[in-house]
Amino acid sequence: MPFDAIEDLPDEALLARFADGEQAAARVLTHRLTPRVMAHAWRLLGNRAEAEDVAQEAMLRLWKQAHAWREGEAKVTTWLYRVVANLCIDRQRRARGGTVTLDTIPEPADGRASVVQTMHERARADALQAALNALPARQREAVVLRHIEGLSNIYIAEIMDISVEAVESLTSRGKRALATALRQRKEELGYADDW
Amino acid sequence: MPMTGDDHDDRALDVFFEAARHSPPAPTDALLARVMADAASMQAAAESPMPRRTAMPRLRDLVGGWPAMAGLATAALAGLWIGTGLPARVTGVDDASYLVDITPEMAFDLAAGED
Repeated sequence: MPFDAIEDLPDEALLARFADGEQAAARVLTHRLTPRVMAHAWRLLGNRAEAEDVAQEAMLRLWKQAHAWREGEAKVTTWLYRVVANLCIDRQRRARGGTVTLDTIPEPADGRASVVQTMHERARADALQAALNALPARQREAVVLRHIEGLSNIYIAEIMDISVEAVESLTSRGKRALATALRQRKEELGYADDW
Repeated sequence: MPMTGDDHDDRALDVFFEAARHSPPAPTDALLARVMADAASMQAAAESPMPRRTAMPRLRDLVGGWPAMAGLATAALAGLWIGTGLPARVTGVDDASYLVDITPEMAFDLAAGED
């Protein structure tokens, strides 16, 4: 099958092909899922090196799971979000607190924006990440999934194995805490216009 | 309708969420290479055949090693000897006929309904 055609297949079909030994399926899944896994881990941990370790571990677990995967039972992304969250919680339990330092700030993936615009966006993204790091783990996960990943409350409820009402409660409390934290830093970080 | 404090916070936070969406932490080439290497090694492990074992070592392990195999061989030989060495007829054909002949009358009476 040509590479373009295989790129259109859903994750679950690609995983079945991976289990059958198709190397192209491994390549497509790696380039499709690793950025999502990496971004989610980084937002939950606030540390690039640790996020890379988590991303690699989550993908390794996916490869191991491939032969036992049954199509139609669960979405690959749902399963991966759960694995990433569990791996991040395990790491945070072992080493409490994640801090954002200059070398942990990710390089922006998109270089099209102007330098000034990029600096403003980076400053806001970094401030948000620092505020996210201070949230309880479940609030942080729910806020990231809802407001950065852009997932629906129903899907988040499935990922987190809680009710939709619980998701709404977590995101609501998380947003209030974020607003409080960011408002306190608006003068210091120079985004007073945003509030 | 006047904007509440929560609405104001939501709008302000949206700017930050938007900024986070625009600058996702991209994986490095090194990470992608490690993930691909893991995938290749898992596929290679799944394709490599299991080491082949002949029937005898598997049977030996199944019964519990060489001492158990010796016992099993002895029991098999003893069974063969008993099966071939004993007299061919333990009970004669005449005895068997007598046993068959003794009952037909009773069976006839019952069938006829007579005393």
